[in-house]
Amino acid sequence: MQALNSFLVTIGRGVGKVVGTLYQAGRDAVDQVIKNVIPFMAFISFVIGLILATGVGNLLANALSVLASNIVGLLVLSLIIGLPVLSPLLGPGAVIAQIIGTLLGTLIGDGRLPVNVALPALWAINPQVGCDFIPVGLALGEAEPETVEVGVPAVLFSRLVTGPIAVLLGYAASFVF
Amino acid sequence: MEIIAQWAQAFIGVFQRGGEVFTGLVSGIVPTLIVLMTAVNALIALIGPERIDAVGKAAGKEGFAATPLRYLVLPVISCFFLTNPMAYTMGRFLPEKYKPAFYDAAVSFVHPPLGIFPHINPGELFVWAGIANGVQTAAGDAKLASIALGYLLTGLVVIYLRGLVTEYITGTMWKKAA
Repeated sequence: MQALNSFLVTIGRGVGKVVGTLYQAGRDAVDQVIKNVIPFMAFISFVIGLILATGVGNLLANALSVLASNIVGLLVLSLIIGLPVLSPLLGPGAVIAQIIGTLLGTLIGDGRLPVNVALPALWAINPQVGCDFIPVGLALGEAEPETVEVGVPAVLFSRLVTGPIAVLLGYAASFVF
Repeated sequence: MEIIAQWAQAFIGVFQRGGEVFTGLVSGIVPTLIVLMTAVNALIALIGPERIDAVGKAAGKEGFAATPLRYLVLPVISCFFLTNPMAYTMGRFLPEKYKPAFYDAAVSFVHPPLGIFPHINPGELFVWAGIANGVQTAAGDAKLASIALGYLLTGLVVIYLRGLVTEYITGTMWKKAA
């Protein structure tokens, strides 16, 4: 009788823990989506609606499709985005990257850009990632002030080199994927 | 009077257009995203993020052999288990000279997996989803999955490369500063 009791208690506790974990996981997921994802969707819908309805979209799309339709243009794009002066400005919230990505996606969806430009384009808009966040990211890693002093320019200059290399990698991969 | 009415229509038309885009986004992505994030959050909670601390400690060793651990394994599991931005806290196990390179590698991995693991950085989902939506419209789901995989795999190569390059540049600049 005792053994059955403690067996039931163990099972009950185990199930309770799993259910509680799943419930909390659902809470965190919904919380994240409501706090971060949907507000950004609202923002980008407004920007895209504005762009499409006013014709500014055509200007931007024409400029982008010229740059994005060949590998040299994409390399140029990645160099511009990776410039140490520009990259920390472009980094916050990845807003500019998300807007350019959405515009490129619209061009691909319309057929104005070929589909296999997607992989190199994804890397072309990527070099600015984290460039605004370097001091905070290093502080999260408990870095000394001297490390931050050296680390910020080190990452920024490294991106100028590795940004275009990533585009070339994406270009090579676009023949496989 | 007619002109004012036309302007009013054009004005509200801008927001209606935006509303159409918003509906498409919310009905298209949000349901899948919520279910996937619930599943991954639960998995991470059940596994227990403290387990990856051991990898962090091992990654600080000297020598080229430790670099895949430091700039490939550690960034990937940090991003998967801790997500952006807590992933960078794993740098605390590393010697000072490796911290910028680890940050570079880790932060470069918050976008490539988004096609398959959007929980890593849902606030910046559109860096992936913007182009992904276009691919889906033009070429279908199979191509989209292929590109998602391609982005993740090229991401692995890129973060390792970025770790090595930034480690080298950090070392050079440190010697000049000293």
